[in-house]
Amino acid sequence: MTATASLALRTKLTPTTTVLRAATAALWRPEGLRRRYLRYLAAMHPLVRASVPLLERAAERCAGLDDPGALSLAAYYTRHAEEERDHDTWLLEDLAAAGAGPAAVPHPVVVELAGAQYYRIEHEHPVTLLGYMAVLEGNAPGPRLADRLAEATGLPEGAFRTVREHAELDGGHLDELHRVLDELAPAPARQTAVSVSALHTANLLTRLFLSLAADPGGHP
Amino acid sequence: MTEDTTPYEDASSGGSPSEPTLEALAAAGFELDTLSEEQYEVLRALSPEELALLVDIRGRLDAAAPEVQAHADVAGGALF
Repeated sequence: MTATASLALRTKLTPTTTVLRAATAALWRPEGLRRRYLRYLAAMHPLVRASVPLLERAAERCAGLDDPGALSLAAYYTRHAEEERDHDTWLLEDLAAAGAGPAAVPHPVVVELAGAQYYRIEHEHPVTLLGYMAVLEGNAPGPRLADRLAEATGLPEGAFRTVREHAELDGGHLDELHRVLDELAPAPARQTAVSVSALHTANLLTRLFLSLAADPGGHP
Repeated sequence: MTEDTTPYEDASSGGSPSEPTLEALAAAGFELDTLSEEQYEVLRALSPEELALLVDIRGRLDAAAPEVQAHADVAGGALF
């Protein structure tokens, strides 16, 4: 029996969950969490800022393909872009509520994360963006994280909107992504392209979180 | 989806099942005991790129392990 596309992707990503959770545990350790949380917000802002443009570009590329599956994928990307719109503003507001601002330049690993997706959309196939999205939405904040961060950092409630709202949003998003992937039922080579995109994303995010957890630098 | 830009041969599209792939995952430290037969099938057919990325990701765990806290299950991930 051959696994569905979504089961295959989930199976390949399952081993990465332990590693990403370990990296985020290091990120959320109590010592120095206030400063580290601000660095995290500042690093996530340019990543989230790229979400809608990536989705819109992927939809455009799909629309240019002679492929009925690509048209339904374009519709999904367009719909999802609307759901994600302005979430980068939430991060700026969280930073402002914490008395901080955005980073002067994007974290280099963030550039690699988003940049790899631009490459894949332009030069490989826009379906590969599903792999990137599966990792981001499959590792949403836990429902109690915002409260724990607020307690540990002493920052005002307004500094946690992004973490709080995404803990509630992304479970449904991931189910929809799996449904879209199974309806597309990409050919095996395309499924591999999606999962390579996902595993590359998981690897870079692990690097990003470990870098943020270890960085002894000053205020973002 | 169309196949017009397929950049490489895919290990899951006709390659023979690869026990060395499972052995490589186990040697890297992945727990494989609880997988279903369907999931084993998926992992046996990993492409070299997929296997290399999984092994690389697992290698990063050693760096994070000392910092793992008991509240990791409460925190969940950190992505949106």
